[in-house]
Amino acid sequence: MLTYILFALVIGSIYALLAQSLMLSWGLAGLVNLGLAGFFAIGAYASAMATTWHHAPIPAGLAIAIIVGGAVGLLVCISTLKLRDDYLAIVTLGFAEVVRVVASNEVWLTGGTDGIPGVPVMVPRDLGLGFHAGTLAVVVVAVALVYGLQRRLLAAPWGRTLRAIREDQTVASVAGKSTVRFKAEAFCIASAIAALAGALYGHYTSYVAPDQFQPLVTIYIFLAVTAGGNTRPAGAVIGAYALVAFLEATRFLADLVPGLAPVQAASLREIIVGLGLLLVLSVRPNGILPERSQKAPAR
Amino acid sequence: MINRRFFLGSSLALSGTLAMPAVLRAQSGPIRLGTLTPLTGSGGAYGPVMASVVKRAAEEINKAGGVNGRELLILSEDDQTNPEAGLRAARKLIDVDKVAAIIGTWASSVTTAVAPVAWESGTFLTTVSGADSITLLPHRGFLVRTQPNTTLQGRKFGEFALESGAKNVTFLSPQTPFTDSQYAEITKVVTAAGGKTTKLVYDDKKTTLRTEVDSVLRGKPDAIIMGGYATDTAILVRDLYRASYRGKLIGFGYAVNKQLVEALPPDVSEGILTLSPSAAAGSNGYAHVARLAGMETPDTYSCQVYDQISLVAMALGLGRGDTGTVIRDNIRKVSQGGGERVDTAVDGLKLIAAGRKVDYDGASGPCDFTETGDVTDAKFRYEQVRGGKITLIKIA
Amino acid sequence: MEALLQTLVNGLVAGSLLAVPALGFSAIFAVLRFPNFAIGALATAGAYGAWLANVGLGAPIPVAVAIGFVVAGLAGVAVEFAALDRLGRAGHLMKAIGSLAVGMVLENVIRFAFGNDLKAFDLPLARDIVFGPVRIGPQQLASVGFALAAMAAFWAFLSLTSLGRSMRAVADNPNLARLKGVDPTVVALVTVFLGAGLCGVGGTLIGLDASLDPLTGGRILLSVFAAAVVGGLGSIPGAVVGAFLIGITEEMSSLALAPAYRLAVSFAVIFLVLSFRPAGLLGRAVR
Repeated sequence: MLTYILFALVIGSIYALLAQSLMLSWGLAGLVNLGLAGFFAIGAYASAMATTWHHAPIPAGLAIAIIVGGAVGLLVCISTLKLRDDYLAIVTLGFAEVVRVVASNEVWLTGGTDGIPGVPVMVPRDLGLGFHAGTLAVVVVAVALVYGLQRRLLAAPWGRTLRAIREDQTVASVAGKSTVRFKAEAFCIASAIAALAGALYGHYTSYVAPDQFQPLVTIYIFLAVTAGGNTRPAGAVIGAYALVAFLEATRFLADLVPGLAPVQAASLREIIVGLGLLLVLSVRPNGILPERSQKAPAR
Repeated sequence: MINRRFFLGSSLALSGTLAMPAVLRAQSGPIRLGTLTPLTGSGGAYGPVMASVVKRAAEEINKAGGVNGRELLILSEDDQTNPEAGLRAARKLIDVDKVAAIIGTWASSVTTAVAPVAWESGTFLTTVSGADSITLLPHRGFLVRTQPNTTLQGRKFGEFALESGAKNVTFLSPQTPFTDSQYAEITKVVTAAGGKTTKLVYDDKKTTLRTEVDSVLRGKPDAIIMGGYATDTAILVRDLYRASYRGKLIGFGYAVNKQLVEALPPDVSEGILTLSPSAAAGSNGYAHVARLAGMETPDTYSCQVYDQISLVAMALGLGRGDTGTVIRDNIRKVSQGGGERVDTAVDGLKLIAAGRKVDYDGASGPCDFTETGDVTDAKFRYEQVRGGKITLIKIA
Repeated sequence: MEALLQTLVNGLVAGSLLAVPALGFSAIFAVLRFPNFAIGALATAGAYGAWLANVGLGAPIPVAVAIGFVVAGLAGVAVEFAALDRLGRAGHLMKAIGSLAVGMVLENVIRFAFGNDLKAFDLPLARDIVFGPVRIGPQQLASVGFALAAMAAFWAFLSLTSLGRSMRAVADNPNLARLKGVDPTVVALVTVFLGAGLCGVGGTLIGLDASLDPLTGGRILLSVFAAAVVGGLGSIPGAVVGAFLIGITEEMSSLALAPAYRLAVSFAVIFLVLSFRPAGLLGRAVR
């Protein structure tokens, strides 16, 4: 049982990183990134390839993941920044699928649908409970670091400008802010965070494969961020842990209904997850922690 | 600040888990086993029947007195055909339900993700996944698979094509972990006999494969081997029929199954040849699974999970325990090495209780395993769709 | 050359089948201003409705297609008013995210009721008719016919009825339309019914061409989006043009590239079109 809880906490922490990524790009910069799973995948693959096949140390793998994730993010962002958010949502959704198609089919590069097994782990696996606890410590530190970074960024003029741009692009650009530059920076950092989450995920589960990065992960994270409040790092983090608790709890809920075939129990579980999201969205459209009203700037 | 919030997060997760029904753990209670099959997602065509075959097999064993007087309790989880979700489900089965074995992982990616947590926790894993890499994992004996490896199947496909008189063979498949190795093996066999092969990998999410069919038919193949699963194979077969392809059509038994044949008009499916791993002719295992699954021609995955639960039950019976380690230490003692031939767990458990040595020959094959957990040998059922029914040609 | 011609025909057929749900998606976007990600599941729901009518009640195919339209339309209206509408207060984006959840719920309701097994319409399969260098299936011709009829009917509705004109007015300028006395709720209701209904027809046509399972609609989702985006979100003629462009490119590309890259090709097309026309081929650049 303890292992299960530690495991759920590690997964929750990785989701918390993804949620922070989404909070930054969506909540603050207003860029609807439905391609989160793609950046998650890129980070996982970058670090797994470097450490498993080229025997790079894990910290180097993480760094590579962050750099590659940020670079791809920048590329995607620059080529899509001019788009309206609804276009951006669809284009990034497609981007994530393209990443998955490439990972499945370019066997020479990624190992194909077989994936990359045997990715090195951060704490020796034979420590049992210690493996999970140790990994949890590492990912929690990562969550804390990213959280600290976000808080600083938000408090800085950079964060205020970003919010101003989100609220009104025209006004902000009239005020002499290069909206494109700010958005690109936010998107780039957000992609790097998602890639870091992917790398850590690979170094925990020892396995990276295209099927892990289905669009469902993106939906889950949107659920987490909306539930927690999409404009505050703490909201995103809390939302992510609450999501994992909720996802796991639905297993037990579906079991309470007697006389169901296995496939019905499984679909009931997904129905509950979907309804849960709808409920959260309609009850608390601003999340558990809504955006604090900023000190009114002089008008 | 961070600490407080983090604590809040973790206590949320905790309260989630504590709210779950209390798990009773007693040496005398039922023996817990889990199924982890794809009930949603792209493998959804297979998981449901696999899960219910295991449930029914367990009921049958329980009716006959259980394993060492203890009932089997089967817990079903959905892997969503997704290794990420599958891993979470496996952890729940292992840590909360404390299952001794996880039965039936289907997608190779799910099996590869789940295997490490299984062997670390001493949970036995039985799988139907085909990727060659799976049995090469350092699984410490905690894994067996009933699916013959892909090289063997590729060879059989090649030989089958040659046997049916084909010289120009095309392999049409979605991207799977065994596409390349299977094609290589088919090519080896066919070219050795002076024939030639080509391959086309399609996107299994497409709703029409006309253009793919066109481009394959320009090469005028006299046999097409289909490497996909039921949903995409249904589309492929329809589009081949429309294009008036009249050569041989060979597919996996799990793709050209009862479900697919029922979804196609009889004249469209007429003549498709299929291949599934099988026990030797005369074994009752297959007929038994047919009764259990409530269908005349169960596909190989149903047969394989039946064999898996039977082997697990007998290994637990022989080892008089309820853990994965007991299964690991005893499974080969009931699956191979001579003794009385049995093809159901109920018969096997009776003999084991009487102190006799058994050798299980199942519905999907003789179920003899190598050190690494691969099946050593398998016969194959050669079947053909005739008049909308899957008809046995031979077992060889 | 023959290959090229045949592939072009295949692309045209694929495009016309894609155009129907793309039209529905774009219509909903034009009036309600959010991308409805539930259209995949709505298409599946319509197809299952049509299948039930055909196999369970023995309805002939044209009737089944009509039932597919009605079932999906009603399902669309139901989820709009049960769930999505109240999310609209928090912005269009909330509705988009909500529609992802709605899609998940719908897909699993279908799975709960029907399981994952393949379903097929009660319909004989005919061999293709060969016209010189190209071949085409009678069923496909019929499907293209259904698709064109659905599009034509929708077109007629928009231009000939007063309700249709109100829809266009709301799409053009919601505030102005309100001033002119158009009831936005009625227009939204009708639009969702028609838009979701068209998706249902799209799903049914795919079910007729291939077979049916709970993921049927989900398989075409990205291509439908691609079509609508290329054409310009919210543009009705744009959706049709986009669908043909995507349909033809996806098929044509498999002559030169690995067919597994179909989806990547669609997104390359999006990229190219949007770089030159950020609002899509026929979209308007206003925000």
